[in-house]
Amino acid sequence: MEVIITKQDSVMTARLIGRLDTPAAQEVSQAVEPLIAAADGTIVLDCQEMTYISSSGLRIFLTLKKAAASKGGKVIVKGISDNIRQVFMMTGFLNLFEIED
Amino acid sequence: MKQKEPTVNSFLRRSRWTGLMLVVVAAITLEATSIIQFFFSQKGIQQEAALRAESELESTQLEILNVIDQAESAVRNNMWIARWCLNFQDSLSLVTSRLVEDNPVVMGSTIALVPGHYRRHPLYAPYSYQLPGQDTVYTKSLATPEYDYPSQEWFTKPIELQEGYWSEPYVDEGGGDILMTTFSMPVRDEHGVIAAVLTADISLDWLTDLVGNINVYPKAISILASRSGKLMVCPEESLIMHRTVQEAADGLEDTAAAHKIAHAMLSGETGSEDIVYRGKLQHVFFSKVERTGWAMSIVIPDSDINGHLRRIGSVVAGLQVLGLLMLALILLSYARNQRKNQELTEKKNKMESELHIARGIQMAMLPKIFPPFPERKDLDLYASIVPAKEVGGDLYDFFIRDEKLFFCIADVSGKGVPASLVMAVTRSHFRTTAAHENSPQRIIRLMNDVMADNNDSNMFVTLFCGTLDLATGQLIYCNAGHNAPEIVSAEGVRPLNVLPNLPVGVLAGMDFQDQETYLKGGETLFLYTDGLTEAENSYHELFGEQRMEEALHPGMGAVEQLRAMHRAVHTFVGNAEQSDDLTMLCIRFLGSVPDAGDGRRLTLRNDIGEISRLQAFVDGIAREEQLSDPVASSLNLALEEAVTNVIMYAYPKGQEGRLDLQATRRPGELEFTLTDSGKAFDPTAAPVADVSLDAQERPIGGLGIFLVRQIMDKVAYRRTDGKNILSMTKHI
Repeated sequence: MEVIITKQDSVMTARLIGRLDTPAAQEVSQAVEPLIAAADGTIVLDCQEMTYISSSGLRIFLTLKKAAASKGGKVIVKGISDNIRQVFMMTGFLNLFEIED
Repeated sequence: MKQKEPTVNSFLRRSRWTGLMLVVVAAITLEATSIIQFFFSQKGIQQEAALRAESELESTQLEILNVIDQAESAVRNNMWIARWCLNFQDSLSLVTSRLVEDNPVVMGSTIALVPGHYRRHPLYAPYSYQLPGQDTVYTKSLATPEYDYPSQEWFTKPIELQEGYWSEPYVDEGGGDILMTTFSMPVRDEHGVIAAVLTADISLDWLTDLVGNINVYPKAISILASRSGKLMVCPEESLIMHRTVQEAADGLEDTAAAHKIAHAMLSGETGSEDIVYRGKLQHVFFSKVERTGWAMSIVIPDSDINGHLRRIGSVVAGLQVLGLLMLALILLSYARNQRKNQELTEKKNKMESELHIARGIQMAMLPKIFPPFPERKDLDLYASIVPAKEVGGDLYDFFIRDEKLFFCIADVSGKGVPASLVMAVTRSHFRTTAAHENSPQRIIRLMNDVMADNNDSNMFVTLFCGTLDLATGQLIYCNAGHNAPEIVSAEGVRPLNVLPNLPVGVLAGMDFQDQETYLKGGETLFLYTDGLTEAENSYHELFGEQRMEEALHPGMGAVEQLRAMHRAVHTFVGNAEQSDDLTMLCIRFLGSVPDAGDGRRLTLRNDIGEISRLQAFVDGIAREEQLSDPVASSLNLALEEAVTNVIMYAYPKGQEGRLDLQATRRPGELEFTLTDSGKAFDPTAAPVADVSLDAQERPIGGLGIFLVRQIMDKVAYRRTDGKNILSMTKHI
């Protein structure tokens, strides 16, 4: 799993590449620390190249969402695949995040 | 030991006595034989000596008589002419001179007339003679007043005896001190009246040579004595004609014997007598010489007769003593060896008894109560160990911990006591390590590190260590240079796929790898040491793996299997000596693990890194089942969640644990069974996550199990034999 974080103005974008399974989630949770710090702005999670997500990955998403919610920022999840959309649907995440194609 | 000593000592005493008796008997026998032999030899030699002496005396006498006869014949032959010439006085000298001329032995001759025979010449005795070395015959008259022949013995005796007479030997002073003797015979006239005496003188010089040269034995001497006993021939020349044998006998040390001999000689006896002369025993043989009345004797020193025999006797005696000494030495060293042997035997017995005790201790280290787990229905196990010597370097061990059978089989390099010590150490390390380590490779690695560090004797151990999960049949194993065990299943016999790895104790810090497989119910794992495959028969052929595999039978109980194997080996080996320790361990798994059918099964450690293997496993099944991408993806997710849950929470932190995932395909559905031995946890009983809450209200966790239940069509949990068994079914 690869995470590439870019910042443009007040928008932090994390490009997630590969499978976000449980082992990967441990690395990713550290990699997204800067995003939590910048949770008062807009966080974009670019999932166009993310092929899979497990509950550990969802946890990271939820953590960011909580941080943003408390700091007044917002999290945009972008480009999720059908499979992941299915997971989001099952877990109610579709309602928690702004989903962009 | 104490009670044994008297027996040993008495045995030694007895053997020493027996030896002594043997020497004594041998000595007596030898000596008796020698004495008898010596006695008969001596007798024979003495008889031989007597024969030789007698024959010498005989032949000498014959030679003397030959000369005597010649002289006598000369006289007798001239008797008639002498008688005839009595009437012609002057012709008498012709008779005598002719007698001397014609008979070489005759040195002189006279015809002495009885006084008064001739009126004119009352005494008349012409004497013809030869001087020694000359041929000329001289004649002179013996009728001189000084000589007075009528009184001479040679004249009176024949007349007195009226027959021929040999005079006593005498020294002829006129003819050059020659020893002479005279034969004289009366001459009768036509009236039969003795008118004269005819004589023939013979020299006795030849006697000295003849008698003196009798050489029966090197130091023998000969003596010739006259009728009156005068010495005629003897080694001491000064005595000749001056002493008689009696006189000579007076001067000898053994006077009695000497006189006896002298008397016998003078009496004309023939015989023998012993005498001591100059401190030495002498044998004297004597006989008389016919007609002359002389006596002859041969004196032979005893040393000449028996000396040789004595020398041989002493050499023989010396050899005998030497032989007996050697015999005694041999017996002595035999007795000593016997004692040494006895000591050695005692030492050996002691060592053997100690080894026997050591064997007991060694065997007691190994579990040897069979069946070892009678209460278990899922395991049939049997082991056997046959050391080639009293103690050996083979080892097996097993025990059950946490529903897992821990077992090992090992072979220490070498045999006997050193190997047995290493074996004991190995066994102890195995027990200690396996008590807290779950992974065979960890167990072996730790054992290797300890043993390689303290391995001054460079001994190493080939070791196979495994754990059999009795719930699942999962076999995790690690091999350290040992023979690959055999798997005996209904499909046949095949060696377990093992990495060779290095033996334990070679190099500290070595890495060892775990391997894994599954035993189905009824399958057997057969472990052995190379004492089995390398068992040799008397042709030095090896039992080999093929014969071993042929003796392995699917479905056979562990005890029967090992018995069958022992029979096969014994039949093959025959009477050949067992060359190596032979150890076998037969583990028959009888667990009722549901058959995976297509054998889709995965075992994972409680390490989050194992998730990638799970993904590969699920992807594989999805491919085989041609599942659609969304289904495959959701199955991946559900199983990851379930497995992650076990990995993270089932086992205490730091403790190694395993989980088993088995996939079963049924019509219209796929069932996944997840088994672990961790703490009891029922996911189906967990509260369902509320997905309708907004972000602030939602808890972070709890989604995993929720997802499992969402994705799977049926989720069931049960706890059996200390295991969590989670069954998840997906309709497809």
